[in-house]
Amino acid sequence: MKNYFKICSLFLIVALVSCSSNQDKEQKYHGNFEKIKALEKDSIEYEVKSTDLIGNTPLILVETKEVSFFIPERKSKIQAYNCSECHTKTIPELKFKNLTGKKAHDSIKLNHATLEELTCNSCHPTQNLDHLKSNLNAKIDFNQSYKVCAQCHSSEYKDWLGGAHGKRVKGWVNPRISHTCVDCHNPHSPKFESRFPAKLNTKKIEEIR
Amino acid sequence: MSKEENKNVENSQNTWHQITSENTDRRSALKKLTAGLIAGVGIASTSCSVFSEDQEKEASQLSWDEFFKKNYKIMSDEERVQTVQRLESLYEKKTGNTINISHQGPLDDVLFGYVFNISKCQGYMDCVNACVEENNQDRDSEMKYISIHQIEKGHGFNFEKAEDEFTNEVPLKNHFYIGTQCFHCENPPCVSVCPTEATWKEKDGIVVVDYDWCIGCRYCSASCPYDGRRFNWGQPHVPEEEVNKNQHYLGNRLRKKGVMEKCTFCIQRSRSGQNPACVDACPTGARKFGNLLDPKSEIRWILENKKVFRLKEDLGTEPKFWYYMD
Ligand code: SF4
Ligand code: SF4
Repeated sequence: MKNYFKICSLFLIVALVSCSSNQDKEQKYHGNFEKIKALEKDSIEYEVKSTDLIGNTPLILVETKEVSFFIPERKSKIQAYNCSECHTKTIPELKFKNLTGKKAHDSIKLNHATLEELTCNSCHPTQNLDHLKSNLNAKIDFNQSYKVCAQCHSSEYKDWLGGAHGKRVKGWVNPRISHTCVDCHNPHSPKFESRFPAKLNTKKIEEIR
Repeated sequence: MSKEENKNVENSQNTWHQITSENTDRRSALKKLTAGLIAGVGIASTSCSVFSEDQEKEASQLSWDEFFKKNYKIMSDEERVQTVQRLESLYEKKTGNTINISHQGPLDDVLFGYVFNISKCQGYMDCVNACVEENNQDRDSEMKYISIHQIEKGHGFNFEKAEDEFTNEVPLKNHFYIGTQCFHCENPPCVSVCPTEATWKEKDGIVVVDYDWCIGCRYCSASCPYDGRRFNWGQPHVPEEEVNKNQHYLGNRLRKKGVMEKCTFCIQRSRSGQNPACVDACPTGARKFGNLLDPKSEIRWILENKKVFRLKEDLGTEPKFWYYMD
C-alpha cells in the first residue's frame, strides 16, 4: 500500500512538473474575462479605419449620452426624393379630388402591426411629405428614421444602440458604422420572410422543387 | 450477254475503278497530310519543351524549397515572405492566374470574439454559403465550417434532437436555429494534442493550422468538443473561376488532400479590419464580431448587458464564442 502511494505521488509530481514546463511563455489567465480585464485598452488605434472600407458612402452621426456611431445616409437612396416634387398638394387636398387611375404607391402593402395601431399617417405627415413625423407630430428627418421606429420598439432600439441588435457595415474596426433599421427591415412590412435556405442541401432543394 | 449488258458491266467497272482510284488518292493525300501534321506537331512540341524546361526547373526548385520549409510558427518574417512568394508563383505557373497570399500577423491590442443571437437566426444559411466561397472549401465533398442546427422549441439545447440537414422552408414553426463552428477556444484541446505543432493559437486568439505541417492524424478533430474541425479526405476541388484569390497563409489558401482545416474567423479579412464573411452575409444580424479588448466595442456591450452563455462551459475550454437571446 505504502509503495502504491509513493508511486502515485511520484507520478503526480512528474505530471505537475511536465505540465508547468509545457506552458507557453504566454501568461495564463483563468478564463477569457480575466484575460480581457488584464489586457483591455481604453483607446485603441487601428491602422485600418472602417471609413476606408466603405468608400464614399455619406454617413449620418447617431449620438446619445452613452454611444456615438454612424449610419449610412438614407435620403439619397429613396427613389424620387424629394417627395414634394410630386406631392405639390397636401394629402387632405388630394382627397377632395375624385382621383381615378393608378396610384403611385399602389405597390406598398402595409403589413406592420394592425391598422388600428398604425396607418400611413402614423409616420408620414399629411401636410409635408418630405419628412417623417413622431407620435406627437414632431418633424423627423428621413436620415433619422430610427427615431420613428424607436417610439414603439424601445428594447430593440436600446439593443441597437448598444450593438446587440442590428448589423455592422463592412468592418469591425473603428469608427463604428451600423446599418439603420430600414436598411434591413422594410418599414411597411418589417418581418423577415420565410424561404428556402441559401446553401447546403441546395441539391436536395432542387429535388424537392 | 447482250452488247448493252456488256457496256453496263464495263461502265460499272469503270465506276468502280474510279471510286477506288479516288480512294487511293484520298488515302495518299491523308497520309501526306498526317505526315505533315506530325512534323508540324513535332516542331511545335520541341519548341514547347525548350520553352518549358526552364519553367519546369524553376517550378520543381520552388516545390523543393516548399517541401523543406519550416513550420510557419517558427519562421522568420523573411522566411514567411519567401514561402508566400513561392506559393504565389507556383499557383501562377500552374493556372496562369495570380493570387495574393497575405502573411499579416496579429494586430496589437486585439483579441477576437464572436457572439451569436439565437433569437435572430432564421436558418437562412447565407452565412454557410458565404463561408464556403470565401474560404475555398472543397466543393466536391460540400465541406462546411458552419453548421446550422434546427431544434424544436421546448427541449432546450438538445443537439441530439437537432436537424442539421434540413430541407424545409425556414424558419420552421416552433423551431429555433443555432450555429456552431470553431469557437477559437482560449484553452484549445485541439492545440495541445497535435503531435507536430501544426495547429496553434495566435496572439489575437485565432486558432490556426499550418496546412503544410499537418500530417493528417486527426487527433485535433477527435479532441475538439465542438465539432469545429474539417478534414480533407480527398483532393479538395474548387473550380478555378470560383477560387477566392485574396488569401492568407493561415487562412483560405488552397489546401491539399489529407490535411485538417477549420474556421479561422476569416483571418484574411478580420486582420485587415473586415468582418468575417458569415457576419457580413447574415441578413438578420444574428452574428456579431469584434475586439474583446476594446471596452467600447459592441461585443463587449453584449457580454456585459445580455445574458450570454457558451456551450459545454464546464470543460474549461473557454471558447471565445458566446450565445445570447434578445
Ligand atoms: S472549437 Fe474545437 S477546433 Fe476550435 S479551438 Fe476549440 S477545440 Fe479547437
Ligand atoms: S490532423 Fe494535423 S493539425 Fe490535427 S492534430 Fe494531426 S497534425 Fe495536428
